[in-house]
Amino acid sequence: MTWELFAVFIGSSLRLAVPLLLAGTGELVSERAGVLNMSIEGMMLTGAFAAAVGAWATGSPPLGLLIGIVAVFPVSLLQAVLSNTLRANQIVTGIGINILVLGATTLAYREIFGARSREEIPGLSKWSPPLLGDIPIFGQAVFQQVWLLYAGLAIIVLTALVLRYTSIGIVIHAAGAEPRAVDKSGVSVAWVRYLGVIFAGFMSALAGAFLSIGDIHTFTEGMTRGAGYLAIAAVIFGKWTVGGTVLACLLFGAATALQFQLPTLGIDVPNAFLIMLPYLLALLAVGGLAGRQTAPRALGEPYFRR
Amino acid sequence: MTGAAASMTGNLRAVLRPSVVISVAAVLAAALLGVALIFAMGVPVLDAVAAFVDGTVGTPYAIAASINRSIAFALVGIGFVIANRANLVNVGGEGQIAMGGIAATAVALYGHVDGLPAGLPFVIPLIAAAIAGMLWGSIAGVLKIKAGTNEVISTLLLSFIAVWLLYWCVQSPALLRKPMTNSATLPESLEIPDPTKLPLLTDDYSFPVHVGLPITIVIAIVAAIVLSKTVFGLQLRAVGFNPIAASRAGISYSRMVMISLATAGALGGLAGGFMLLGEQYVLKDGFSSGYGFDGLVAGLLARGSVVGVIAAALLFGFLRSGGINMEMVAGVPTALVMVIQGLIVVTLAGAAFFIGGRRT
Amino acid sequence: MSDPIRNLSEPLLTLQGVTKRFGALPALSDASLDIVPGEVHCILGENGAGKSTLCNLIFGVHVPDEGVMRFHGKSYQPAGPSDALTNGIAMVHQHFSLVHNMTVVDNVILGQQSGFVNTKAWARRLERLANDYGFALDPYAKIEDLSVGERQRVEIVKCLIRQPRLFLLDEPTAVLLPDEIAALLEVCRRVAESGCAVVLVTHKLAEIKKAADRVTVLRGGRVVARSDHPAEEIDALVRAMIQGDVKSLDKSAASALSVVEADGSHAGRAAPAETPAQEAVQIDGLTVIDGQGVTRLDNFTLSIGPGEIVGVAGVEGNGQSELAAVLSGMAAPSRGRVFLGDIETTHLSPKEITAAGIGVVPEDRHTVGCVVEMSVAENIFLNRLEAFTSFGFLRRKELVQAARELMTRFDVRAAGPEVAFSALSGGNQQKAVLAREITLPKLLFLLAAQPTRGLDVGAVAAVYGHIRSACQRGAAVLLISSELDELIAVADRIVVLYRGRIMGNCAANSSERERIGAMMAGQAPGQAA
Repeated sequence: MTWELFAVFIGSSLRLAVPLLLAGTGELVSERAGVLNMSIEGMMLTGAFAAAVGAWATGSPPLGLLIGIVAVFPVSLLQAVLSNTLRANQIVTGIGINILVLGATTLAYREIFGARSREEIPGLSKWSPPLLGDIPIFGQAVFQQVWLLYAGLAIIVLTALVLRYTSIGIVIHAAGAEPRAVDKSGVSVAWVRYLGVIFAGFMSALAGAFLSIGDIHTFTEGMTRGAGYLAIAAVIFGKWTVGGTVLACLLFGAATALQFQLPTLGIDVPNAFLIMLPYLLALLAVGGLAGRQTAPRALGEPYFRR
Repeated sequence: MTGAAASMTGNLRAVLRPSVVISVAAVLAAALLGVALIFAMGVPVLDAVAAFVDGTVGTPYAIAASINRSIAFALVGIGFVIANRANLVNVGGEGQIAMGGIAATAVALYGHVDGLPAGLPFVIPLIAAAIAGMLWGSIAGVLKIKAGTNEVISTLLLSFIAVWLLYWCVQSPALLRKPMTNSATLPESLEIPDPTKLPLLTDDYSFPVHVGLPITIVIAIVAAIVLSKTVFGLQLRAVGFNPIAASRAGISYSRMVMISLATAGALGGLAGGFMLLGEQYVLKDGFSSGYGFDGLVAGLLARGSVVGVIAAALLFGFLRSGGINMEMVAGVPTALVMVIQGLIVVTLAGAAFFIGGRRT
Repeated sequence: MSDPIRNLSEPLLTLQGVTKRFGALPALSDASLDIVPGEVHCILGENGAGKSTLCNLIFGVHVPDEGVMRFHGKSYQPAGPSDALTNGIAMVHQHFSLVHNMTVVDNVILGQQSGFVNTKAWARRLERLANDYGFALDPYAKIEDLSVGERQRVEIVKCLIRQPRLFLLDEPTAVLLPDEIAALLEVCRRVAESGCAVVLVTHKLAEIKKAADRVTVLRGGRVVARSDHPAEEIDALVRAMIQGDVKSLDKSAASALSVVEADGSHAGRAAPAETPAQEAVQIDGLTVIDGQGVTRLDNFTLSIGPGEIVGVAGVEGNGQSELAAVLSGMAAPSRGRVFLGDIETTHLSPKEITAAGIGVVPEDRHTVGCVVEMSVAENIFLNRLEAFTSFGFLRRKELVQAARELMTRFDVRAAGPEVAFSALSGGNQQKAVLAREITLPKLLFLLAAQPTRGLDVGAVAAVYGHIRSACQRGAAVLLISSELDELIAVADRIVVLYRGRIMGNCAANSSERERIGAMMAGQAPGQAA
């Protein structure tokens, strides 16, 4: 394999990993706080749709991004209310929201664009960091990426710092491991968990927007195609740490990139197998190949004062 | 009150208990919202409703198609309920259906079963379908026992993998794709031979309800009896509530997990077998699309009762047929039906707070 | 002891006619009391008397149904713990709320500030505070690595660092070594001397005698007595607490509550029938090493004869749970063997253990002992369902009837055998578990871990009665308990566990109390204190 091809592979891996990185980090915070957010898939799809329609309608991709973020807020709020205040089963609500969003976005897309349209939508521009972009061979292929990637990376680093070094980080950790401790310290568990879910929603909006106006510059029905579930698997694989989740997402991104890379190398692997690969890897990961994972103790259990 | 009257009011009270009332209310509310959306889309509401009704009960063929669909949902839903007794959530219905379909087609086409006597030509592929689904569900069971893997994620990922395996099977002539005569040959299998097709209840092709219906009804009855009257059902409940205490009482946790997930998988696989051998006859990409989630939702709505699963499965079977016809005739996308389903699930999940009590 | 002037100062907290109901049952009825600054005020009552409810009302966990609370003379209606904390009320609960995989200092910081955290500064503050009150604390230790006593100190520091005006402790000494109890009471004294009011909830008279300035006695949810000179009025207090004369009590039960000093004379317990030829239970070199490589049980060797009661003393967390887990078939040991007569039971499954004639009353009733969502009948026979099975079907009527009979025999009070187990009181639940284990067809060995925890005197007496009758029928009994008085009262001899090792054994006599206490704290017999 030539260096050029390798560089392209790295670049593609990064690009394909971005939605997972963003959604995964959001899900990580939500799960650390104790809420299992199966609706990540739905929130990503909402973000993708709203950003696409927003960019198309206003002609400005950054505005579309903003619209995407705003549109996801009610969905994440719904999940938060259902999971925390109404103490509903988090898996049921997650799947329910996903079905609802899939139907709603498909319906709305057909209404606005008609069936099977693949209207070109203005997309977010690319950016390249000053020195790194000029490295011969690697520079362009690897570092010339949609600016949302770099913004996303900054947010991820910020999230890691907040979780580690601030009081909010301590509260989030406690809310997922021992919510009674949080309650007895006078902090509202519900408030922390709402925060976690809404942050997950925000990050999912970015992830979805990246898919539609960052990467492909269009919207297709159900375009997230299980990426949300891969993000959840990445969090498990990463043992609920930021670093682990990031590595897992990069791995899944690389697996997806192989789909496009291997044919160029003349290696003939059935396309279906390559598409399946990230899910297979995710299954191996949660199946304990990377060691036993211990979830935050109170994950998935609504909290109420006895 | 006399005994008969007392038991009747008792039954009435059981039927009208809060969870049932709220379920029905949620469905009605969602239906109303659906009508409102149709109106908002500018489609004449009466036309859409007419098309919907036509698609559900308009012709005997429509009714039969709805019933056949309900069979698949009911099987997945029953599997879900059984696993849920042990507090396991099987979300992989779609993948299990896909595996079942693959196995049924493979055996029907290449298993040399068409010459066999006495119904074996379709029974053997059905058994193969159930086994394929069972194995697929068991993978999640093994992972749960050995690695403590959350079965929601594992069954979900397995479902995606199975769907792509299906794609692979119908794309590749080396697998199940029909021999490619030219580049325009569709990616699907050959049609299964006549002896392997499921016999219909009546010999009338305008009402093609196949033999899967009585089989499913029997399965439902057996499941209901096992869950409520047998020691196994009691032990399953114990494991679902408190696996550690159940373990201390001598109930094998791993055995219960394996049996529940394998059974749920087998029922899903069987559903796939019914779909292939009873209606579709040709294996195509995406044939299982949506069936898994519909069955899952039927299981969720039923809140642990097999009768509830049947009711919900019938509802969704007819809903889907109506939706398809609405799209064909009145131009209302089937995505609307999805919206209604999603609303029902979310509403009921939230309403559980007011009803109180866990899933049974 | 107490400064008379202090007692006349303005009350810090008053309760008037406070009532709290859970469902139909009133947990607390028409309670009135007052707390003044600078005193150590003990709330005395047996289990189930309403002491925890009282604390939770003061701390804002629950809201009273009737009555008025006043703090500093002003109306006090906390909507939650944050209101209580803002008012300067801090509480150490019976069940700690500490985050197990977080450090001590992070646990203390939780909820105390916002923004960036200066861990080092907090750690220094922590160490200084601990020093002031006379104990040591490693701020960077993880909670899961700490002993129970150390965890309690973290809970205490969490409270004291807020400089509270009212400091509540709910049954703090249940989990402590004898030495640690004295240290805790000393801390309470110092806190009171600094002007804070200390409210100590307990059912142990020894603590009243040593530490209390004033006492309020609860029984059945009501205030039944008060005392401004508790040390001189102990007998009256006991009478109020248990509504009866001390002498009428089952002696073992009374001593378990430290209502009387246990002396190890087993009044009412017949000696074992004859000298056995063979030991009923032999445990040989049992060792358990956990997933992290820590040795939880170290070379545990013990023999128990039929009809003998051997007690295992020691504070929670010194290997008792691991011992019980292995003996009940829930865990496999790393080394060692267990024999029941001739049969080796080391690696048997729980089902086989039960079939072999080993009954287990687990320490954690709700997690291991029963399925609270299922009915009483189902729980009682959960490990013996085969007796009610025909062709896989459950003979439910027979099951319910058999359960009814057992419930009558064992005085398990409930609306019926088909009621949910969760509806039963703790005492009745424990009686049901005992009913299940003791009526095993041929009970050869009974393992009871902390069997009377949280039970009132009546239930405690019943439990001891059943254990003794099992003994009389020839079963060997291993009684694991962190209540030394209970072991002295009930057991024939006692072995002491410390950090997984047997430190020594001795007769269950009150004369050995000090020696046992020293061993519980890790001093091997023969060592200087």
